[in-house]
Parts: sequence; C-alpha cells; structure tokens
Amino acid sequence: MAALLSEEDRKYLVDLFEKELKGEVKILFFGSKKKEECEYCDLTEQILQELAETSNKITVEGHDFDDEETLAKKYNVEMVPAILMLDSNDKDMRIRYYGIPSGYEFSSLIEDVVATSKNGTVELSPDTIKKLEDIKEPLKLQVFVTPTCPYCPKAVLMAHKLAMQSPKITGEMIEANEFPDLSMQYNVSSVPHIIINEGEGEFVGALPEDAFVEQVMNVLKGV
Amino acid sequence: MPLFNLSNVSKPAELNYDVAVIGAGPGGLSTAIYAGRAGLKTMVFEKSTEGGQILLTDMIEDYPGFTSISGNALADNFLSHAKTFGANFANEEIVEVDLESNPKKLKTDLGNEYLAKVVVIATGSNPKKLGVKGENEFMNKGVSYCAVCDGSFFKNKKVIIVGGGDSAVEEGLYMTKIASEVTLIHRRDKLRAQKIAQDRAFKSKMKFIWNTVVTEIGGTKNVEYVMLKNVQTGEITKHETDGVFIYVGLVPNVEIFKKYIKTDENGFVLADEHMETNVKGVYVVGDIRKTPLRQIVTAAADGAIAIIDMTKYFD
Repeated sequence: MAALLSEEDRKYLVDLFEKELKGEVKILFFGSKKKEECEYCDLTEQILQELAETSNKITVEGHDFDDEETLAKKYNVEMVPAILMLDSNDKDMRIRYYGIPSGYEFSSLIEDVVATSKNGTVELSPDTIKKLEDIKEPLKLQVFVTPTCPYCPKAVLMAHKLAMQSPKITGEMIEANEFPDLSMQYNVSSVPHIIINEGEGEFVGALPEDAFVEQVMNVLKGV
Repeated sequence: MPLFNLSNVSKPAELNYDVAVIGAGPGGLSTAIYAGRAGLKTMVFEKSTEGGQILLTDMIEDYPGFTSISGNALADNFLSHAKTFGANFANEEIVEVDLESNPKKLKTDLGNEYLAKVVVIATGSNPKKLGVKGENEFMNKGVSYCAVCDGSFFKNKKVIIVGGGDSAVEEGLYMTKIASEVTLIHRRDKLRAQKIAQDRAFKSKMKFIWNTVVTEIGGTKNVEYVMLKNVQTGEITKHETDGVFIYVGLVPNVEIFKKYIKTDENGFVLADEHMETNVKGVYVVGDIRKTPLRQIVTAAADGAIAIIDMTKYFD
C-alpha cells in the first residue's frame, strides 16, 4: 500500500520527535478482522505503523479486539478501531481514540505522543491542577468529533490533558461518523460534543480551559 | 483536505515578542509573514486551528493565484509561508489583555503571560445568530453554523440554509452533496452571493424560498420544522426539516479588547488607514475590522499594511 504520510510530513515528524520525545512511547492498537464492523481498522493501523517509523522511541503493538478479550478488558477498550498509549513505565495514559485520528485529529495524536514521552506531563493552569485534585471518583470524558472540524482538536486535547493529569479521569476521542449508534444515543449533531460520565453532563463547543474544567466540575458537584 | 493534518502540533513557548498576533486566519497569518520578513520576533496565538474561517469553506476560487483551492490547503500554505519566515505559533487562547502597559500584556487560558511591544488583533468574527424562538433550544440538535463540521450528521436528510450571501450559498452547495434536500431561505428576492456561486446554486438541486424569514425553529427532541413568514404577503407556513444551517452575517470577536478599543455600533474595530487603532501600537486586521469588504484577499492586504506601518516602533 502507498504511504499515507507525505514525505514532507514524515520529515517534519522525524525532526519534531528527535527534539521533543523524552522517553519511550508504546501505542496499543486494537482492531478487528471483521471488516464490515471496522471500515477504518486497516488505515488506522497503517498510519500508526508509519508514525512508529519516524522515531525509534515509538513502538506500536497491534491487538485483536475479538481474539484478545482479556487484554481489551484490561484496558477497558469498548470499540474498534481503538488507540491508547503507555509511557516508559508501561503506565496507561488513560487516553483513548475510538475511530481513526485523521484530518485535524492527527495533530491531537502527535501531541499525545509527545506528552506520553514525558510520562504524561502536560501544561495546565495551577487553578485547574488544584481542582483536579478534588476528583475522587472515576470520571469519563467522551469527545465526539468529525475529522473536518477545525475546533475539535482543542476539545480532544483538553480531555486528554485532564486524563493525563488526574488518575481518576479517562479522556476519549470518538469519531462520530464511525460510531453512528453511539452518536445517536447521545444525540450528537454538532461537534465537538463532550459527554461527561455517560450522560451525567454534556456540552458542545471547544471551550477554553477554565470553562471546560468548570463544566466538568459542575457535573461532579451535581449542579 | 489532507487525510492526516499536522497543523495543530504545538511548539515550546518563550514569552517575549516584538509582535503578538491574536488569531491565525488569513489576516493574522499574512501579518506574520510580513512581520517575519521585517525581522520582527513574532508570536501568533490561535485558539483552535490555524486558518480561521477559511477552514469552514469547502472551495475557494477568489484568492488570486489559485483558480480553485480548498480552504484547508490555502490555510496550510499561509501557515507554512509564515513559519518559513520565522513566525512562532501557540495554540493558546488569549483571555485577558492589558493594551495600555508597555510592553503590552497578554494572558492565555493556560495561565501564561506573554509580552509584546505591538499587538495585532486578528480575531475575526463568529457566525451571527438568527435570534428566533427555538434557535438556542435546538442549537446542536439540528441547528448548526458549520456545514463542514456538522454536515455529515445530515446524510440523506432534509436541511434548510438561512441567508443569501457567499457563505449561505457556498455551504448550501456543500450540503447538496450530503443531504437529500437542501432549501435556501432568503428574506430578499435575490441572492447577495457572487454571481458564479449563484449560477451553480441555480443549476444544483438546491431549492429556494424567496422573500421569506424563519420565525421559529421547532421540534421535540431535535429540529423537525421551521415556521416561515413571507415578508410580502405575511403568510405563515410550516416547513419540515431535520437541519437548520444559519449564515446570516458575522459578529466580531471583540469582547476582551472592548475596554481599550473603539468600535462601531456593531462591534467592528475602527482603524486608521494604516490599520492602527485608537491605542498606539495596537493594530487590527481582517474580518474584525470595520471595512466595506471581508475577503481573504482584503484580510491579507490589511496584514501587509499594518506591518509596514508598525516598523516605526522598532526603528
């Protein structure tokens, strides 16, 4: 198959990772052999393989969602294609990509690789970090996106940054077109659409950090 | 657009600059190109993705040098052009400014405080709301302002487009490729969009309802219908639809600057012929400026003029 990454983008990534990657990054990919259930599994795995080839610090481990049920359960993988990242200590960064991270979301994936190489060190305001310390119960953030939405990566990265910062939070990107049933369940028709704790709260739009965190905290407070 | 887009990947930050450009649409990016060529140390702030509103446009055919180019590809060209001449980029949102201090201070949503001798406001504008009953209630439940973002949710469904300008007609055409039925509702009896776009719309499957305004958006869980009023006859009709895409004008993103900057009654920023505002060392370019025409080419020109003038602060 022809390379998905252009030569120019490949060089850009080689250069970026050379400068930015601190430790090793293990990307776990879950796919399925049932092509009719996972149209983008092959394409997703291929772009990850090409990504791994741009730096010796990045490895990609492919897994089968159906055959490796125990592993999928261990990482709470619910659908395919799924991507998650482990840092140099094999620690799960609690970020998930469901659906192919194409279009504008490819940038989100790269940002996450860099953050994972720094063991999940992310830039957040002191205010946010303080608020996150109060979170004691598990919290799930699902960010529904389309690959053509220029506002969406901001919301995805915010959810992922919060997940890397707080051991209680899981942050997911969900490509809405690939999961129409789930999108319909949450009545997603504009993106980015953020679902908190499977429907306890929700909001639409790429909010700045403080407003995003406030929405999340309001749900926890039961506002 | 490229299948895998890298424009959002961020760089390490440094806090002191000659020029801070707020917003990376065509105006801000053109400013960054000229600033780089003038040897000015420049930081461009973008809260979402570099390119601005052109990213919401499927195809662009009125920027000189490109017979036809996607909004995404043109944004990419602007961005790499600016980077080639040394501009820096931060994916941070400016939430507070002090434009009277020297140097000027800019606070971002990540809590960083940047300093710059000169500030260029290039924050552009957001789609204007229609202001009718049901619009807020059904926002994101069928009411949308971004066909490129949300269009795929209306595959084989019925949508209406409200408006008669370039955006309404072009995004309406985009929706004809996705939706089963596209009806454009316009309050006048003719379109304001460029002639060539009108011709295409008339040749497409798009339907038109003239001299008509939307008075209400209704439904149960999601949008199911709009109420229409003919402005000439006063007749009220119900029109069934799954989606309402609104393109009735723009609201300038001016909130954080209002304390310092003079605007017209609609919030568009006033500038002299060199793009300098009433505050020395604060410039304005692109859609957010009070200007008779808002195009990519005019936004780009604003950036060039602003930089040539501001070199007076660095001599």
